[in-house]
Amino acid sequence: MIGVIARQQLLSLRRQQTFLAFLAVFLLMTALTGVIGWSSHRTIVQVYAAAVTVLAADGQPAPPDPFTSVPALSLLSNMTIYIPLIGALLALVLGHLAVADEQSTGIGRLVFSRPLSRTSYILGKLLGVGLALGAVMAAATIASLAALVVANGRVPSVPDVGRLVLFSVLSLGYLLLFALVGMLTTLLSRRRSVGLLAGVSVWLVVTFVLPQFTSGLRPTASLNPISDPVSSSLAFFQITARARPLSVSEIYKDVSAQILALGPGRPASTTLAAVVPVVAIVLALAALVAAAAHRHDYSRAGAA
Amino acid sequence: MRSKVLLTLLAVLITVTVASVLIGALDYRSALADYEAYRRAAIAGGVQRIAPSPLQLLSLLRGAMEYVEIIGALIAIVLGYLSVTRERSSGTLPLLRTRPVSPRQLAAGNALGALGLIATLMGASMLIAVVSLGVIGHDWVDAAQLTKLALAYGASIAYLMTFYFLGVLTTTRSRNPANGLAGALVIWLVVVLILPQIGDTLDADNQVPGGLFAALGLGHAQEVSILTHFGAYERVRTSLEAASLSKHFERFAFAMTDVKDKYRGFTLGQLLTVTASSIAWMAVYLAALGTAALRVLRTHEVTTSGGI
Repeated sequence: MIGVIARQQLLSLRRQQTFLAFLAVFLLMTALTGVIGWSSHRTIVQVYAAAVTVLAADGQPAPPDPFTSVPALSLLSNMTIYIPLIGALLALVLGHLAVADEQSTGIGRLVFSRPLSRTSYILGKLLGVGLALGAVMAAATIASLAALVVANGRVPSVPDVGRLVLFSVLSLGYLLLFALVGMLTTLLSRRRSVGLLAGVSVWLVVTFVLPQFTSGLRPTASLNPISDPVSSSLAFFQITARARPLSVSEIYKDVSAQILALGPGRPASTTLAAVVPVVAIVLALAALVAAAAHRHDYSRAGAA
Repeated sequence: MRSKVLLTLLAVLITVTVASVLIGALDYRSALADYEAYRRAAIAGGVQRIAPSPLQLLSLLRGAMEYVEIIGALIAIVLGYLSVTRERSSGTLPLLRTRPVSPRQLAAGNALGALGLIATLMGASMLIAVVSLGVIGHDWVDAAQLTKLALAYGASIAYLMTFYFLGVLTTTRSRNPANGLAGALVIWLVVVLILPQIGDTLDADNQVPGGLFAALGLGHAQEVSILTHFGAYERVRTSLEAASLSKHFERFAFAMTDVKDKYRGFTLGQLLTVTASSIAWMAVYLAALGTAALRVLRTHEVTTSGGI
């Protein structure tokens, strides 16, 4: 029955215009990431060359080129933004739809007239959502590889492909977190729109508000893979920085940068340790979703 | 205003606005104290030319403006969505239509109610900002700064009303209100987050923390000189940003709040001149979406189905 529920979940997504709209935006931005990265890098190198000429004309020495050694996967740096930005919203909508549709259409009442346990039902839903997100990340990974080949003019090396796959696995975990948020807020809400908006509110707080509290990152700074946080010498930040392990979007960006070799290297153990709180949050959310699904009254029709 | 979700979003916006101003004000107070100590020491030491304070009080509101840009827009969309669905679910629209009230008056009434709510919210935000800067930052805004701040918050009202009309439009034209809300969310995502993000990513100056041209030791004049060789690239980049209403609001608000160095020292007239295109774009978006939303509100079917 778990497999049946999961299969039904996947098939129903094909008719969900909202999900398809978010998916289209996400895949389009993934495909454009390489182009954007290549275009901006090419321009930056030319800007530096022009700056050297201007400085030389003024008799000033040129500073060292900050772009001499650029990691091979740096073209994909924007993915560390698009995953928390578009991917997380996509996952949230997916989680919301996984629960909301059956409630608003009344199919939930039909489903539970069959000998189906709540546990099997929720496991089937989680499997369906997981497979859908896995397919999304697989498509994004293929699009990223294609972008790298086109932009760099060569096939990425095996270690780079390995890094990209590892990054995709991390991203899948991050998306699962928000899918669970979408499911939980919808299960806890009587109205469909309230469930969706509550999930979006959580996403807003996690993506924009928490980073400002813990690291002084302004909201729009969270949209730039190269961020310039305000000085954290204030006593305020010395207190709030302790909550940084809970700022999942910052952890994701930081670990992603490590995996893709976009920033200064750190021991693998440090990187792995940073992921532990996120894994714990995902497991806790899964437990909460299961508990909420067990308590949910599927006999009442949901309002839009 | 009885909607729990709307109240929650409003609470989030006010909380983060206060927190953002608080963080900035604490830092400002520290920097102001350092400057005052320098000034006293310089006077005591007989220094003739004392450097003016580099501190810009209104720039502390950058985070608050960004939250209006992101969360405020979302609140306005939700407000537009609720103004349509509440009438549907409560069944008041058919009743209203039996009264001697024209559809035009009904639509205008809805819009005016939303305008009142948004104006109140922005007015409260401005008051909180001014008081926070004065009490925590130990520096009160003067008349000129207050005028610029009022213009920035005035623009925020126009900005939010545009997204209100977007919420009304997508919800009214959708069979399922929740799908209309989701459609508005997709547009919000593209206009508020994706287009500005692409524009910022393509900006050469954003490729190094602290700014590329600053890292290379180049001034604004040299930066402009270099960028003239990249006209096509900059045209594509600025075209993408011009397509985003949020970017126009940001440019105007940042100009009014002294966020950008290049505008510091400008008179109000000069600021309005350099931001004229942003003002025009905001007016165009507001007029277009407002006209479309009011037309749809006047003509959409009276129905008792659907609802929040």
